[in-house]
Amino acid sequence: MNYLYPIIKADYLQRSRSYAFLITIAVTIYAAWSFVPPPEANYTTLTMFGYKGVYNSAWVGNVTALMSTLVLSLCGFFLVIGGIKKDVDTEVGLIIATTPISNFGYLFSKLFSNFLILLTISGLAFLVGILMFFVRSSGYPFHIGDFLFPYLFMVLPAMFLVSGLAIVAEVFLGRKSILQYLIFFVLFGVLMSNVNSNTKNSMVTVTDALGIRTVFNSVKDKVNTEFNENINNVSLGYVIHKNRTFKTFVWEGVSWDWLFLLSRALWISLTVALVYLSSFFFHRFDFKQAVKKEKKKAQEDFFNAAVPYSGFQKSALPAIIPAYGIFPFIKTELMLMVRKDSKWLWALNIGLWVATLFVPLTFAYSFLLPALLFLQVSRISELTTKEKTNRVHYFTYASYKPLQRMLPAQIIAAFCLLVVLALPVIARLLMASNLMGMLQVLNGSMLIVLLSVCLGILTGSKKLFEILFFALTYIVFQGIPEAHYLGALAFENYAGMMVIILMINALLLIFSFAVRNYQTRNL
Amino acid sequence: MILEIKNLTKKYNKQKTGLSNFSMTMEKGVLGLLGPNGAGKSTLMKIISTISKPTHGTIFLNGEDIVKNPDTIRKILGYLPQDFGVYPNLNAYEFLEYIAAMKGVGGSGLRKRIDMLLDGVNLTAAAKQPIGSYSGGMKQRIGIAQTLLNDPKILIFDEPTVGLDPEERVRFRQLISEMASDAIIILSSHIVSDIESIADEVAIMKTGTLIGKAIPSEIIKRIENKVFETVISNADLPAFKAKHLVIDTSRQGDKTQLRYISGFQEIEAGARNVPAGLEDAYLFLTQN
Repeated sequence: MNYLYPIIKADYLQRSRSYAFLITIAVTIYAAWSFVPPPEANYTTLTMFGYKGVYNSAWVGNVTALMSTLVLSLCGFFLVIGGIKKDVDTEVGLIIATTPISNFGYLFSKLFSNFLILLTISGLAFLVGILMFFVRSSGYPFHIGDFLFPYLFMVLPAMFLVSGLAIVAEVFLGRKSILQYLIFFVLFGVLMSNVNSNTKNSMVTVTDALGIRTVFNSVKDKVNTEFNENINNVSLGYVIHKNRTFKTFVWEGVSWDWLFLLSRALWISLTVALVYLSSFFFHRFDFKQAVKKEKKKAQEDFFNAAVPYSGFQKSALPAIIPAYGIFPFIKTELMLMVRKDSKWLWALNIGLWVATLFVPLTFAYSFLLPALLFLQVSRISELTTKEKTNRVHYFTYASYKPLQRMLPAQIIAAFCLLVVLALPVIARLLMASNLMGMLQVLNGSMLIVLLSVCLGILTGSKKLFEILFFALTYIVFQGIPEAHYLGALAFENYAGMMVIILMINALLLIFSFAVRNYQTRNL
Repeated sequence: MILEIKNLTKKYNKQKTGLSNFSMTMEKGVLGLLGPNGAGKSTLMKIISTISKPTHGTIFLNGEDIVKNPDTIRKILGYLPQDFGVYPNLNAYEFLEYIAAMKGVGGSGLRKRIDMLLDGVNLTAAAKQPIGSYSGGMKQRIGIAQTLLNDPKILIFDEPTVGLDPEERVRFRQLISEMASDAIIILSSHIVSDIESIADEVAIMKTGTLIGKAIPSEIIKRIENKVFETVISNADLPAFKAKHLVIDTSRQGDKTQLRYISGFQEIEAGARNVPAGLEDAYLFLTQN
């Protein structure tokens, strides 16, 4: 095991020493701050149908732990997945493959380094949570155990599970990132679907993978007993309320029983077992060349052919015709996006696209279109990072007016792709005389493109955008009107949101150009 | 055409300096850049290619400041970086068309130009295959082809012969000779023989400064009558190395044949004076 430590350490340092991680830290601090809203805020993070707890140590500790579990389980997967891919891309994997490290040893070190990354972020949320207790202090005494135990017993096992799932996904689904995301999306939905179940038996505790249900049941018991209610639903997450008043109650926290603790140990063991099983299927960086026979023959012919060389004559080259338009860039950007990912995904895209023509417009607009756009995440997320990933940036940055030509082309190409995918919905909105809706689809599509462009330029990585897009899509699927960036769900300040998105788009655009301008001259 | 580099300094941070008050003037022809790792060759090439800004100093191309107006040189620049990459999903045609667009080259003749360049770097047969399936040498040749897309007047090659087999290196040299008639070509390499056979002039760099620039024969003159060969016992080797700059060794049983540069007047017993080469001069200048 001694040799695993340096591997885990190196992997952790490599991942944590990046702008993307710094920004993740900043986002974590902001998010953890928002986990405990001030009493007058128009949103809540944990409530029960008109009831919420007073800000004592147990409530603040558990709310921050619950929110950390929810948010980090959702986003953490995207944050940590790709550790093996990085070793493939950098070809460090080839060196690793020649060392005595076992497949399980390697995967276990990746699991642990994934976990360390999530642990760092959870630790930060934990500290901010304590800080928030004192900031929002309402005179209740501070008990460190009220913060420590929820994090130890709920957040950390959940993070370990997510770390392991990322490894399993990478082993079995390799570079099929969309499939990885989709399967996790569904799995996360399944894990969260039962958290409000009222059944109370040992099996329910054991099968509660994220450990959220135990805390929910404790809160429900408290409210139902104290107020003689029969409420089944606990609402967790950012929920906007307008002028709603809540009855408060004093909740003293969860009494963590042995069954719960054993169930956490079981999930940790299950994670290790899954990673162990995966190690039998791990490629160990030995990729079979899946080349078709004809292609292989063509390649062999090329390598075997003795090509006559007549010499290079500069004077015979055709004259240069200047062309400074951006159309060739748009064409190439579209080509790169279309060729990204496998053909089956295009079949799925076409299926969904056709479906948006025939299903009821409300359903197509509210759910199918956001799903269809999210399916493009891996195409869009690389818009401004692929030059560096593929080390083509030396050419692009040294080209003629790169800022005025390359960047607009990337934005236009991605926007065109999304608009084409949204065309059936746009056409149907027009036919339904919903001009605002149509404009908002265009506005929202541009928001997605510019988020990718700006975050890619800023962090040099596609991860932050992918996490954000995933979280946004997840919230959209929860049916929260204010979060529907395409404007499918009507609410009070619909027009206001449109203007806000438009302003965000303008800011993202200006910021992207400014930062890229600096980058092109400072390699 | 004249490229003037004036007092160029590039500081990455307080400790790390890439270039230090570097000045040089170039005209048409091939300039070979030699220097050990960290000498500042790539930094210099990046600054001339406008993808990095100097901390101080400037570069003039025909009197125009290209640090302030980078687009002046970009239209006529061909640059091959040391560790460039490609888009693996594109084939050679598509990739070169893309780079041509970056360089502002288009029109009806572009396809023919790409055909001829691909032929020039011996990639015609593989032109329609995804570049992701290419070997390292083939990718390097695509890199060389892209430099010539815009009929460049300034060509910058950072380690261009890495990954090329001997036959391809010969082709590359022919290609450079063809281009050198009306362009400034700057070429860095660790393979001194490549520089010796291609370059009209050689510039030797060390720790961010220029320690010499002249035609190869003049540089070699600096160590004339200082290069010797001798055979000594293996046991005497450490003491010998402490006294002289040993260029090359080859073991012959319990003896070692040495090629060395001596700064002393007296000649070691059994040593014979041999004609000096550029590699000898380079090692002498960079290690002293």
